[in-house]
Amino acid sequence: MLSAVAIGIFAGVFSTGFYLGMADMRFKTAIKTEFSHIRIQQKQFQAEPSIGLFVDGSQNILNQLKKIPEIEGASGRLTCEAMAETAHGNLGVKLTGVEPEDEKKVSDIHEKLIEGNYFTGKKGRIPQIIVGSGLAEDLKLKLKSKLKITLTDINGNVNARLYKVSGIYKSNNTTYDKLNVFVVRDEFLEQSALSDNVSHLIAVYLKQGADAELVATQLRKTYPELEVLTWRNISKELALMADQMNQLMYIFLVIIMLALCFGIINTMLMAVLERKRELGMLMAVGMSKFRVFRMIILESVYLSLTGGVAGIIIGFASIKYFEKHPLKVDMFSGFEMYGYPKEVATILPSESLVSMTIMVIFLGILSAIYPALKAIRYNPAETIRDE
Amino acid sequence: MKILELKNLHKIYDEKTIPVHAVNDVNLAFEQGEFTVIVGPSGSGKTTLLNIIGGLDKPTKGDVLIDNENLNSFNSKKLTLFRLRNIGFVFQAYNLIPVLTAKENIEFIMQLQGIPKSERNKRSLELLDEVELSEKAKVRPAKLSGGQQQRIAVARALASMPKFILADEPTANLDSKSAENLLQIMEKLNRDKNMTFIFSTHDARVVKKAKRVITLEDGKVVSDVISAS
Repeated sequence: MLSAVAIGIFAGVFSTGFYLGMADMRFKTAIKTEFSHIRIQQKQFQAEPSIGLFVDGSQNILNQLKKIPEIEGASGRLTCEAMAETAHGNLGVKLTGVEPEDEKKVSDIHEKLIEGNYFTGKKGRIPQIIVGSGLAEDLKLKLKSKLKITLTDINGNVNARLYKVSGIYKSNNTTYDKLNVFVVRDEFLEQSALSDNVSHLIAVYLKQGADAELVATQLRKTYPELEVLTWRNISKELALMADQMNQLMYIFLVIIMLALCFGIINTMLMAVLERKRELGMLMAVGMSKFRVFRMIILESVYLSLTGGVAGIIIGFASIKYFEKHPLKVDMFSGFEMYGYPKEVATILPSESLVSMTIMVIFLGILSAIYPALKAIRYNPAETIRDE
Repeated sequence: MKILELKNLHKIYDEKTIPVHAVNDVNLAFEQGEFTVIVGPSGSGKTTLLNIIGGLDKPTKGDVLIDNENLNSFNSKKLTLFRLRNIGFVFQAYNLIPVLTAKENIEFIMQLQGIPKSERNKRSLELLDEVELSEKAKVRPAKLSGGQQQRIAVARALASMPKFILADEPTANLDSKSAENLLQIMEKLNRDKNMTFIFSTHDARVVKKAKRVITLEDGKVVSDVISAS
């Protein structure tokens, strides 16, 4: 009984920690690498991104944004669809021009480099480009490889330019890695023939993600002519995941707890049946039905608590261990395409432990009610002679 | 002094289908300090009668009066409390709690009665001494012989300071030496403490020691003999 409860609770705690860790990593990747908390852009840009739909005077906006205390960083990005071409083939990409120092405050691409460096600042003969590992693999790109980027500039002219790969990044999202390439903002401006002081979007990263809606509302008032989107508006899938994260965790827990509940009922029924004669004797010599009922309930609570606490401690210790030493889950490698990590650092908020302990006690009581009712229905005259 | 009286007692099982008259018009009275044996062949109604006297079963008809209180008028809760305070039970299969020591088995009934710990401790040690098992105080039932377990059961029955002790076939599972030893202890308790014992038994050794022998057949009292000694 004890080990069954301990294993059940451990499984519940650990799988919850694993699921939350997976969701958290997806969430962090999505915000820090792909979306950022808030974006400011032209109103039609989200639906039909076009090189001509830019925010004029973006530098002034950036200067204002940096004064807002809730904002960690803001970066003006230039972006358009382009064609990447090498001797091994060509692929459609999304070319983004960034100001490296600003971008480091809103994105973690510079931390995801597996080869080379983030823009070094040295302006060579051939401008630098950062590519994802997926694209590098498909086009057989290495560091210092040449990559031709072709785009249609603001004037409608097809404009090709040669870049040199200075860094290869690898995020947790293979689709993102195949699609996104980065160049320095000035290079983008030059190739696209855009004037200075414009951006297609301004990415804003907040100190507290929870402030997103609050800050966005404030910005909508400040820039009514522009569209201010939070990550929730940008990615419905991510918003749904965030909303359902806690509910799913509880649904998952409830399923495990229900299994545990049936386990306890079964074990306690067996115990009541095995101790039929003992219970009959107790009632015969004068133990009241209420005391017998209470005894069975308390036994179940003690057993659930002992096993439950052991399971919670083992589960929490495992979660702490795999928080520092992420768990490699090769079986989930296919999910990388959707932004789910191949390595999961488990997490579990401490308040979940409290709710789990309360649930274990509650279930201990609930599960023992039926066996306890069965026990008090025994006829002592019959059970004391039972062989 | 009359402590127990059975008046026109009937117990009929399966009244509506095939009625079995387990106890049929039994009228008996028991005095304080009796050492009474109820004998009879299997199915004669001994155990049923003992269960009715002990408040574990209800008669179909008739009255059970203990100190002039009629058990029939008690509800289940009151009956349980009455058993706890007035009746000691010794069962054929000992029925000790396996996870408790000998001393704890004796103490728990006093705990149910709400007796303070120091008093429980004192009395359980005295009772262990009376059943000559002081050295086994901390031993669990599994490590005791059948005879020793039954002596602990007797001590447990005495612990609640009952008006009388009901013993259903107490020697049935014991070898002759253990049975003799147990009976000597019971006789001593009857003699020294004036404790009333009512047995149901097949065992001739118990019958030999009895001061009164009641014979049942088909639920009826066919003889009630009080020994001259």
